[in-house]
Amino acid sequence: MHSVTLYHWEPNANSGKPMLALMEKGVAFNSHYLDLISFDQHKPEYLAVNPQGTIPAMLHGERVLTESTAIMEYVDEEFAGPALMPAEPRDRWRVRWWMKLMDQWLGPSFSMIGWKLFVGPAVRDKDPQELQAAIERIPLPERRVAWRKAITGAFGTEELEESRRRVALGIRMLEDELARRPWLASNQYSLADINGFNLAYGLPVVWPELSNDELTPNILRWLRAIYARPATKACWAMGRTNMAKRAAILEQPHIASGQRA
Amino acid sequence: MRTTLYHGEPNGPSLTVLATLFAKEVQADLVHIDLARGERHMLACAQDPLVAMGVEGEGPVLVVEGEAMTDSVFLACYLDDVGQGAVLRPTDPYARWETMTWCRQMIERTAPAAAYLGCRAHPPQADAELLQRIGSVDLRARWREIMTGSFSADHLSDSRTKIRQTVDKIEQRLDGRQWLMGAFSIADIESYAWLAGMVSLVPEAFAARPRTAAWLERVRGQPAVRKALSLAHTADPAAVWSVGPEINRWG
Repeated sequence: MHSVTLYHWEPNANSGKPMLALMEKGVAFNSHYLDLISFDQHKPEYLAVNPQGTIPAMLHGERVLTESTAIMEYVDEEFAGPALMPAEPRDRWRVRWWMKLMDQWLGPSFSMIGWKLFVGPAVRDKDPQELQAAIERIPLPERRVAWRKAITGAFGTEELEESRRRVALGIRMLEDELARRPWLASNQYSLADINGFNLAYGLPVVWPELSNDELTPNILRWLRAIYARPATKACWAMGRTNMAKRAAILEQPHIASGQRA
Repeated sequence: MRTTLYHGEPNGPSLTVLATLFAKEVQADLVHIDLARGERHMLACAQDPLVAMGVEGEGPVLVVEGEAMTDSVFLACYLDDVGQGAVLRPTDPYARWETMTWCRQMIERTAPAAAYLGCRAHPPQADAELLQRIGSVDLRARWREIMTGSFSADHLSDSRTKIRQTVDKIEQRLDGRQWLMGAFSIADIESYAWLAGMVSLVPEAFAARPRTAAWLERVRGQPAVRKALSLAHTADPAAVWSVGPEINRWG
């Protein structure tokens, strides 16, 4: 049996997806925590693993895997344990459709606002020369642009407004879909739910005016059901910052409209 | 099981789905619609959230037992699951990861670039009433930009770079291989579907790339791809474009 090593940040967004998938499957892995705020992901030791400098990356024996959603499908197919993809082909299509919407349309909007509020301010205290050098080390030009914006706070009003529009619309879409069935993409807990929890667990903290038990009862029901799973509890306990602790709001039996944690 | 495919000219996403459907011998009613005139938004299912909000932009719609499905790579995965004959995705999990990761790069980096360049050279045209029917605000904004000719120099230049990088990657990948994933797969179909129209628009990307040139011919010669191309209503389907996926707006 080859060992599994996962290079990840917090149980959140892309890092949390393979973490939670591995834990749901009961696969033991060596956890290699990378501090995104200290730019660990652009240091030579990590670039030797993943030259693109993106997180997460997974080693399985000699294999190096990147792209969090594709890693999750690999984890589901490669290892024993409960199936995290439904058996019915049309359900599988729906899982992939939702994961793509979250990965490419909704997630980047959450992340733009998250980086403005959290990541940017967290790194801004660092020495400017050190920051400049850190940016220069980023291999992908798109990521260089993204980091420069986050560090300088140079987001345009229009692009932030567009992200807020997408967040509000995405929340409505999730609520409507979750009113149709117990889980996001099928009647069975799947990778779409793992992906969705990583995107949405902080909703009632960050967007209490848009997501609460009055406005989005189905989202809250869904988030609490995922949070109650032993794998989720164990996974979120691996968080080292206040970011992962936001999930604790889901222990409240009722989150009223506009309530801030 | 009643299956209907609404598709455009066999190029880009429509070509991916048509070729996969034929390769897997899936029975379906085929309905040609003009994606370049926005006719997808006239369909009864146009406002279904998973049609209206698809990230792919103007692509085909597969309706199975009343459920309208979009997104060409995932439709191809579906057809691979339900159809007959040789699998179009490897069965080994690692090889499947490679296939899905390859397709993700095509979806995220190559497709937006190809659609942007394709639409500039061959602009789609929808009338004002039709534009009003477009459920997605950001897709409607992309239509407006394209129809008013508002192409950004940065995006055009970046799109050409993305096409060059894709071809470089294919050329390397084909070293010692006939097909991108070993056997003919969804990765070949998807990559061909976005690149066929780029040969004339970004010729420098294909210059001195003999393995890619031979591979393009091989894909074009596959019976399922030939059958898909034979459905064209125009002389050169690779010159028919509609609004594609958004160019990455953030990181």
